[in-house]
Amino acid sequence: MMLSALLLRKSEYQQLQAILAKTQKDLGADLVILIDRAGHEIASEGQGLTLDHTALASLAAANLAATQELARLVGETEFSIIYHQGRHRSIHISDVARKYSLVLIFEDSVSMGMVRWKVKRAATLLEEILQESRERKPTREPGVSAAPSFTDAEIDRLMRHLSPIADVEGKV
Amino acid sequence: MTFINYVAHEINCKIVYYGPGLGGKTTNLKYVYGITSPENRGKMISLATETERTLFFDFLPIDLGQIRGYSTRFHLYTVPGQVFYDASRKLILRGVDGVVFVADSQEERMDANFESLSNLEQNLKEHGFDLYKIPYVLQLNKRDLPNILPADKLQKMLRIKGEPVFEAVATQGIGVLEALKAVTRQVLVALRKTA
Repeated sequence: MMLSALLLRKSEYQQLQAILAKTQKDLGADLVILIDRAGHEIASEGQGLTLDHTALASLAAANLAATQELARLVGETEFSIIYHQGRHRSIHISDVARKYSLVLIFEDSVSMGMVRWKVKRAATLLEEILQESRERKPTREPGVSAAPSFTDAEIDRLMRHLSPIADVEGKV
Repeated sequence: MTFINYVAHEINCKIVYYGPGLGGKTTNLKYVYGITSPENRGKMISLATETERTLFFDFLPIDLGQIRGYSTRFHLYTVPGQVFYDASRKLILRGVDGVVFVADSQEERMDANFESLSNLEQNLKEHGFDLYKIPYVLQLNKRDLPNILPADKLQKMLRIKGEPVFEAVATQGIGVLEALKAVTRQVLVALRKTA
């Protein structure tokens, strides 16, 4: 089946948050955000910058995907890091376990060497937690939910949120 | 990949609009953006050329509300339809949960429809997905134009697995929400099957 949901225990989620929080604090970063390759935000840390996390996650995932294709074109297995340097603020995007990405936004006062070091460490720790949760099957074990099982009626109710020109019958 | 955050009670899914160039994929998204209330939608991003042809993708996040305590967020993407942007198209299919194939009903675009459909099958395969198993709907767009083929003929040629088919005029919003609802429903049902 195509669905391969990430099943995180609450404790694992808290561990992810703690790693992001430490990285954010150590670097004084404006924002640290963990995303998956489809461009969904998994967790984030940092209040210093108000921006659209959803848009950021989508663009960062696309950016990394495009960069990896460029790597393949020139015969590299990967370019695992993307760094965009701005006048006041920079973005660092790095690979985590080839399935996730860690995105950092920080001011120009932060040393690049420090960023690389802290990100590498964080990526290793994140990878351990994410790897374990990916390998887990949905179970009823305490603390781990199975994928939610919705009824047809519940799905119908949800569909009503897509505001209808419901009277248009377009079906062939 | 559907991302379910059990802690924050969120479900995030990815829908991709695929199809030949100038078929109306971006117009579908623009219509959805236009009729969705601001609190239920995010920013629409279009990475386009100077002539407004899709270069990489369009992106629109929409929030469908709560189901059994879970917030449901659908991320809608289009791919660039032009043949030579295949590398970009492939990237957008990463982690896809459902596909809306936007076919162009004009007779002279039939070859382009077939080429795009074949390209979709191939690109899905490279990501480990099977077109015959993935949530999928077919939209026959541009039904308002004069040189179109009859819907039943198009359906015979382009329908691949008994998927829902919708006649559409995306510029007027006809058949847009219907196609989106149908694919969304399939994604949620697929999610249920994994429970």
